[in-house]
Amino acid sequence: MIGQGKAVRHWLAGAAMVLALATTPALADDTLDRGVGSEWSSLDPQVNFDGSAGFILADAYEGLVTFDPAGNIVPGQAESWEASADGKTYTFHLREGLKWSNGDPLVAQDFVNGVLRTLNPDTISEKGYYFYSTIKIKGAEALANGETKDPSVLGVTAPDDRTVVIEMETPAPHILDLMGYFQMAPLHSPSFNEGGAAVFIDPAKVVSNGAYIIKEVVPQSHVLLERNPNYWDAANVKIPFVKHHVTEDVGTELKRYQAGEIDITYDIPLAELERLTAETPDEVWVFPSTYLIYYSFNLSNPDLQNIDLRRALSLALDRDVLENKIVKGGAIPKLNYAGGFDPNYKGPDIAEASMSQAEREALAQELYAKAGYGPDNPLKLTISTTVAEINIRRAQGAALMWKKVLGAEVEVNSMERKAWLDLFYTDDWTIFADNLIGDFAGPETFLAYMRPSADAGYGWESPAYEAAMDEASTFPDKEGRYAGLAKAEKILLDDYIFAPMSIEPNRHLVKPNVKGFGPSAAGYHNSQWMTLE
Amino acid sequence: MLRFIGKRLWHGGLTLAALVTLTFFVMRLAPGGPFSRNRKISPEVQANIEAAFHLDEPVWQQFGRFVWGVLRWDLGPSTKHRDYSVNDLIASGLPYSLTIGFWAIVIAALVGVALGLAGALKRNSATDYLAGTVGVVGIAIPIFVIGPLFQAYFSLRLGWLPVGGITEGWRSLILPVIVLALPNIAYISRITRTSMIETLRENHVRTARAKGVGWRRVLTSHVLKGALLPVIAYLGPATAAIITGSILIETIFAVPGIGRHFVDAALNRDYPLVMGITLLYGGILILFNIGTDVVRAVLDPRIRNER
Repeated sequence: MIGQGKAVRHWLAGAAMVLALATTPALADDTLDRGVGSEWSSLDPQVNFDGSAGFILADAYEGLVTFDPAGNIVPGQAESWEASADGKTYTFHLREGLKWSNGDPLVAQDFVNGVLRTLNPDTISEKGYYFYSTIKIKGAEALANGETKDPSVLGVTAPDDRTVVIEMETPAPHILDLMGYFQMAPLHSPSFNEGGAAVFIDPAKVVSNGAYIIKEVVPQSHVLLERNPNYWDAANVKIPFVKHHVTEDVGTELKRYQAGEIDITYDIPLAELERLTAETPDEVWVFPSTYLIYYSFNLSNPDLQNIDLRRALSLALDRDVLENKIVKGGAIPKLNYAGGFDPNYKGPDIAEASMSQAEREALAQELYAKAGYGPDNPLKLTISTTVAEINIRRAQGAALMWKKVLGAEVEVNSMERKAWLDLFYTDDWTIFADNLIGDFAGPETFLAYMRPSADAGYGWESPAYEAAMDEASTFPDKEGRYAGLAKAEKILLDDYIFAPMSIEPNRHLVKPNVKGFGPSAAGYHNSQWMTLE
Repeated sequence: MLRFIGKRLWHGGLTLAALVTLTFFVMRLAPGGPFSRNRKISPEVQANIEAAFHLDEPVWQQFGRFVWGVLRWDLGPSTKHRDYSVNDLIASGLPYSLTIGFWAIVIAALVGVALGLAGALKRNSATDYLAGTVGVVGIAIPIFVIGPLFQAYFSLRLGWLPVGGITEGWRSLILPVIVLALPNIAYISRITRTSMIETLRENHVRTARAKGVGWRRVLTSHVLKGALLPVIAYLGPATAAIITGSILIETIFAVPGIGRHFVDAALNRDYPLVMGITLLYGGILILFNIGTDVVRAVLDPRIRNER
């Protein structure tokens, strides 16, 4: 909170900035200009929960691991790590001589303090669940719920200045995916204790440990970063300045890109995607993200309690036509749920996959009739979606297919996003144009969410699924675990509680002179890997 | 005159209070809240977040808290922009909106009045038709069409000016200022022209001419004063609307002003920010309306003497 005096000072500073801008020279070539979409919600590394700020914080902070341009896990502040035989304990070894941007030595306890601050209810962070739900670190849930304030219960410890030990209640090989800056940024306690969360947006006071340091923050406009000379790998950071611009309007962003004001865009306008792909294929990057799209069936709806009908609805959708001819946003159509994020996960064998679309539609019609529907007694449905153009197009396409193949009468009900979010929990919907953004690029984040015990609101009961997930989660290695997860996914898919649709892609335009950009599914694109040629 | 101003201020205050109260409660009726997510978080954590922003309190208590905050000049924390208070966000965005709005209204008033006068004094001349065309184009083509067209031509084709952002100083301001001024030039020139023509036909003007007063003198002391009254009546609320930021202009030209926050805050259910901007916008609008009334009262004795 801020007093009047400070507000007036801000006002004057802002007014002065407007005048000062008149003398600022044009952008130089030593700056990488990146679009981050709509405005970031927070530059506080323990609080921020959105992707826009994620791009900025990825440059300013580094976790125990980091991600290369293709999204692979590579050593970050930790140079190595090992897991115990049972897979429940991970020990990370920090690099020698690590420093904060102000020159202070960076020690293992700084990582412990980062986790403690994330979990502390006073921080009002929504990210605590990474530590007690996505992976189950000892003591994390009790700290997050405020049951205890004793930091010694936490299973993240620093036995010495260069060792971080993480103890979990169950093995979780995906722990490494959560050890990057987004979840695991360290905390520089001296500056935070002195200035509170306000230090994170104050270039004069913020202390960070990433490849770049924050030099200027203008809300709704941009964040300017400068190379951090105290970063352990500073010698290999090539671009001196990075400017992350708020690019709320995708049409304006494209024009700014074309004018050379932006080097990497946040998105590509749907209407322009086809043309740009044809004209400048080298500059268009479209690759899978961790954003999964599926249409959920309301299991408390009497019609939809019939599994044959649910299967018929899923089979009737020609996903290739839907995504490639109707939506045209570059989404990757799919028939399964958790596959497509980690190439190592093969997923279950499903009958639909080996059928042609004509066969699927024939079976759909058969099941639809078997469920008791027909021309005289058509099924009536409503698809509830948001007002975003891409979502309306997909819903209208699906409605058309259900009408054409099955003869169902389908309405599309599009509403503002917040209203749509709340609608789900009111249960006043039949088909929900659903989505889920994974915590990391792997199957388990999606499958764990669907557990009836996770209470995500689907009203689905399946002891078999719970048991299969429990069994899968005992494996400390990815290979065994993925086999177990595939078994669980089969149970999930066979109940048709939703129709899988597609994976929403990341869409970026990247200038030809920018090298080192890669297809990272989780959206990690650290500027430190890039060069301007 | 003081009584006149006092009365207007009192009415303005009441209007503002009613506006703010209505907005506060209508906001709460909309489905969804600031922390609605498609990923359900644990009830304890959700409760903790809501308590931190006092969303767990009864609505009337939240309203009381808001009013108490306003009295202390504290609009509370933003629920979306966690690093900033509402005061911070307004303080950072307003200068940009004010700068662009100020220049746009100055240009609109000067050019609009000049075009209107020229048109009225030389009716059906080339100047009149030009002014008329500018007027029709300015009013008929919306900002979200003109803006991107100007960007495409002046920035991409000719490369004279930046497409958007604020990083190139005064050059960044030119396009948004012009595009924002255009529809207002159109309105102002139309109002000026019509009003001038009407005033020229008034009895007092004819009398002055009959008495042998020179044409220039008639224009400056008898016509202009009366003819500009409707323009001033338009300028008051228009200035208030323009300087508090245009959502379209700020989005199209990526200007970090206050207008963009207005819509985003409502979509994000950022209650404190919505309330802060409503209060600011309402306050400025009412003040400019009062200012307009005062100026008109100075120019026209009939207005200040009305009961």
